[in-house]
Order: sequence, then C-alpha cells, then structure tokens
Amino acid sequence: MKPRSLRMRLLLGAAVAIFVALAAAWVVMTLLFERHIERRVQADLVREGMQLAASLSIGADGAPLLSREPGDLRFSEPASGLYWQVTTARGSVRSRSLWDQGLPASQVARARDWSTRFTSGPFEEQLLLVERVVKPDRNGPEVLLQLASENKSLHEARREFGAELALFLVLLWAILSAAAWTQVALGLKPLARVSDEVDALKRSPRERLAAAPAREVEPLVRAINELADAREKDLTRARRRAADLAHALKTPLAAIAAQSRRAREAGAVDAAEGLDRAIQSAGAAVDRELARSRAAAIRAATGEMSAAALPVVEAVVGVVERAEFVAQVVFEVNVPPKLTVPVAAEDLLELMGALTENAARYARRRVLIEGAQSAEGRVLSVEDDGPGIDPAQMTDALARGARLDQAGSGHGLGLAIAQDLAEATGAQISLTRSALGGLKAAILWRQLLTPS
Amino acid sequence: MRALIVEDEAAVADDLARALSAAGFVVDVARDGDDAWFKGNTEDYDVAVLDLGLPRIDGLSVLRRWRDDDRLFPVIIVSARNDWTEKVAGIEAGADDYLGKPFEIVELIARVRGLVRRAGGRASSAIRIGQLVLDTHRMSATYAGRPIRLSQLEFRFLHYVAHQDGRAVSAGELAEHLYGAAESGDTNAIEALVVRLRRKIAPEVIETRRGFGYCIAGDER
Repeated sequence: MKPRSLRMRLLLGAAVAIFVALAAAWVVMTLLFERHIERRVQADLVREGMQLAASLSIGADGAPLLSREPGDLRFSEPASGLYWQVTTARGSVRSRSLWDQGLPASQVARARDWSTRFTSGPFEEQLLLVERVVKPDRNGPEVLLQLASENKSLHEARREFGAELALFLVLLWAILSAAAWTQVALGLKPLARVSDEVDALKRSPRERLAAAPAREVEPLVRAINELADAREKDLTRARRRAADLAHALKTPLAAIAAQSRRAREAGAVDAAEGLDRAIQSAGAAVDRELARSRAAAIRAATGEMSAAALPVVEAVVGVVERAEFVAQVVFEVNVPPKLTVPVAAEDLLELMGALTENAARYARRRVLIEGAQSAEGRVLSVEDDGPGIDPAQMTDALARGARLDQAGSGHGLGLAIAQDLAEATGAQISLTRSALGGLKAAILWRQLLTPS
Repeated sequence: MRALIVEDEAAVADDLARALSAAGFVVDVARDGDDAWFKGNTEDYDVAVLDLGLPRIDGLSVLRRWRDDDRLFPVIIVSARNDWTEKVAGIEAGADDYLGKPFEIVELIARVRGLVRRAGGRASSAIRIGQLVLDTHRMSATYAGRPIRLSQLEFRFLHYVAHQDGRAVSAGELAEHLYGAAESGDTNAIEALVVRLRRKIAPEVIETRRGFGYCIAGDER
C-alpha cells in the first residue's frame, strides 16, 4: 500500500476544517443579515403605522378617517410592494398601492402591541406584515392598523449579500489554506531534513543524522542513529566473521598441503596431486567468497566515500615489489597526488592490490599504473608488458566467475575479484590491449551529474 | 643459514621446518608470540617465517618489537589474513615479503632464498653518496635522513650505479646488468625506472649526463 503523505493529510485536513468553519460562518452571517434587514423594515413599518394612528379618527358612520396619509410615494403607486390598511367593523381605508385589493384579515393582532408575521398578500406577493389594534377614542370602536412590505426585495438583498459574502469567504478560504500550507511546510521541514539525512545514511552506513532540528523529532533522530550504529556493528561483525572464516579455513588448508607433501614424499604422487588441486581450488574459492562478502559490504556502504588514489597505489606497489617474482619489474606510478576516487581507502586497496598483483605476475619488465580525472569521470588503470590476453578472451576474463587461471591462460581470479569490487563501488572495469604490449585494466568511476 | 619459523599450527610448522631443513637451513620453531620474540631477540637468524595469528602476542607486534630492538633479519609473513590492508600493515611494520595461506612450499622456499640472498649475510654495510645512503643489508635507503623503501630492481639499479666511482652508466649497460646480456637493447624499462626513482627519492637524485648515461648526484669521485 502506498503510504499517504503526511503533508497532504495535514493540508487536506486544514482546508476542509477551514471550509466547514467558513461555510458555517456564511450561513450564520446571512441569517443575521436577514434578521437585521427584517428588523429595519419592521421598524420602518411601525414608524409609518404610528403616524397613521396619529392621524386617525372615526367618522360618524363608524368608518375610519385619516387626516393625513403617509408621505411615502410608494403608498400611492399601485402594487408597489408597500401597503397600509385601516379597518373597523364598519369599513376600511387603504393605500392607493393596494388598488382594489386588501390586506389579509388579522388573526392574531391585539391591542397595545405591534405584531409581525409573514403572509401571502395581494398581487401574489409574500408580505412582511405588521398590525395592531388601536382605539382612537376611549369609547369608540377598535381599529385594525396594518402595514406591509413585500418580502421579495428583502430576499434579494439577502441573496446579494450572501453571494458577496461567499465570494469574500472563498478568498479568505484560499488565503487561510495557503497559510496552512506554509505552516505545514515549516512544521515538516525538520522531518524533510531528517529524511534527506536518512537517504545519505542508506547510501553509507557510516553517516549519522545531525543533531535534531526540532525537539519533537529528537527521539526519532536518536532512534535512527542507534539503529545505524547497530547496523554498522552488524556489518563490521559480518566482515570480521568472513575474515575469521577465511583464517579458519586457510590454516587447515596449509596443514593439508603439508600432508600432501608428505604423501608425495612417501610415493603417493597421484593422491598428493589430487590433494593439491583440491587445496588450490578451495583456496581460490575462499578468496573469491572473501571478495564477494567485501563487495557486498561495499554495496551496502557506497555513498560519500572518498580516498586519495596515490597513497593507496604506492602502498600496494610497496607490497607487490617485495615479491620475488617481480625482481625485474619496474613499477611506474603516474597518478596525480590530488586525485580522489569515490570508494573507501581499504576497498581501493583491495581493488588496486588485485589488479597490480595480477599485472605484476605477468609483466616482463614494466607495470604502469596511471590515474586521471576527465569529463567522463575518474580513471585508474593498471597495465603491463606481459603476454596479455587474446582479445576474444577479454570478455570471458571478466565474465562472472571466470576461472581462466585454472585453465592456465594467465589473468583470471585477480581480474574477477577486481571486477566484483569495482562494480560494487559503482565503477566499470574494462580490458584492452596495453601500449606496452600486455593487458590494460581500467576502472572508470563515471562523473555523477550533480545539479549546480 | 639459520631460519626461525613462527607458526602455531603444528602440521604447518613441521612441514615448513622439514622443507627449510631440506633447503639447507638450520631451523628453530617458535609456537607462540612470546617465544618468537625471545628467540628473535636472543639468537642471530638469517631469515624468519612469521605467522600473524599467534597465541600470546600477535605476529605484527612481534615484528614491530624485533624492529624496535634493531633485529633486522629479513622476515617473510605467512598468513591466512590475506587482504591488502593486512599486507600493507605487515610491510609497514617491517616485513620484507608477504605470502598468503595456503601457499606452495616451492614458492615459499624461493622467496626465503631470495630474501637471504638479498640480505647478503648478517653484516650491515652502508654506501654513502651525497645525501643518499644505501643499506646493503636491508636493501633500503635513506635520502637526506628520510627512509626510503626500495624494490629489488630499484636497489640493484642504485647499487650498481653507486659502485661505478662517479662514472656515468648507459641505459644499455644497466639493462644488460639488470636483465641479462640479451636485454641490453631494451632501455624503456630503465628510463621508466629512473623516472620512478626520481619521483620516489628526489628529482635530483639521479643525474643524466647527456650522451653518457646516469650517475648518482654528489658522486663526483
């Protein structure tokens, strides 16, 4: 299952939470706005109603009389949406805006207080209606005052307000989401740094995470570093065990070789030869497995390794030139002092050791070791003036597990070991004919393209 | 010729002793580091065959103690620890050669004989030319007091040139001396050797006298 992104989860959570909060705010604010408008309209109607009541009197026939009609022009315009009506048991007067219609009869109006309700009215309009029963004369009849305003404009105002508010809130949502994104990014930055360092740790078990960038991730950093320590210890232990195993096997092999010589001296030549062959291949197998375990350890450990090439090459030459079989060989070392290669010094030692010893074994007079750095990468090469390898066999010589030395054709195990090691360090090894006449083995660490 | 064999594995030690005796050596065997250190310090040997994985004191420490006490007989390390880090550590501790186990006894005898031949007896003698001092016993050199490890070929080159009383030696003559009469025409290796020595010791250590050949700087006898 693909792990979900913490950043996306936090961002999504923040965006949804902000959205829900703003939507609730929209609903509440729109309702408040509507109620505010209603109260304003209601107050206007009541004010007009009070003026109506002030100019009200009862005629002799019991019908209401107004000494002065409300001044708002909309009361005079038919179906304008603003209406008044004054009703007694004997008759009623109404605004011209009602034309031939009337306001619905009251059901709840009581004296002394204005009551408000929504109702259907004339001209198929929804109305906000305020009404009150008054008595202009203490002993006179009751008069019902009704004033109404159509509800449509109120709805329209609410809709417009709602739309504008929604637009503003969407903008606010975007700004708050961006702020949340920034906050999440800042909050996760220490984790991203830890993640980068863990990547480096993956490449090289010698790396460790730097001090925790935030108190909250400190336990994580500590745990990872402890894990890395444990892993490195395991790796070192595994290497040491492989070397111990080789030691444990090689000394008995040397002892068996001693027995073989005794058998030969006692006349059991065939048995001795069989033993010698077995010892030789067992020794080669141990060397090969040692190289493999080293290569595996290198694979687990590649990364930010770096070794100066010249001291390693000189150390190898210092060992190889001791051997009796190189008594007539001159080692030419042409490696720039500043050349470094991306591999641990001890692994480079094994690699160059295998190649140099191999070259020295077959050299006649000269072994040339060169190093260079070019646009393509860093190269170390070892060549000799020996018999070389048949070009057709060069591929075979590098084939995994090639055992050309057993076939008696010269270069073999050393090259196979060097190839294992070189590939483990991310290098390519190539065999060509040397200008000196023998074999040239070159190891190339390609330049990694790093963003400038 | 006396040889000291330092090996804790009985079968291997016996075999080495028999083989070296057959090759004409008088052989002593030490089975642990303590014994080896004591024998090496108190007896005069022409060569020692030294295992590294020893009881009590490990082989490298024994070797370092010998060298610290100026016990300069040639030492060949014979070890199952066959990686290059160990080989370099062995050579740097003062060994003269290194052979991994399991080994061909013939190769070991050849290397031991080579070491003894090169050492040329127990007496140490030094040849001094200018700032260069050649130690014919250790096949090593110092230049302006700085120790320099030489390969056999490099030593033989310097040794030969040093013995010419200031006469410039041609590349052809050197090739003939170092490689045999048939090789006198092959002078590329000699030129490479000179380059190597100049880089290893000092650029001015070998002078080229145009038309004559090479001589060691300061050898104006």
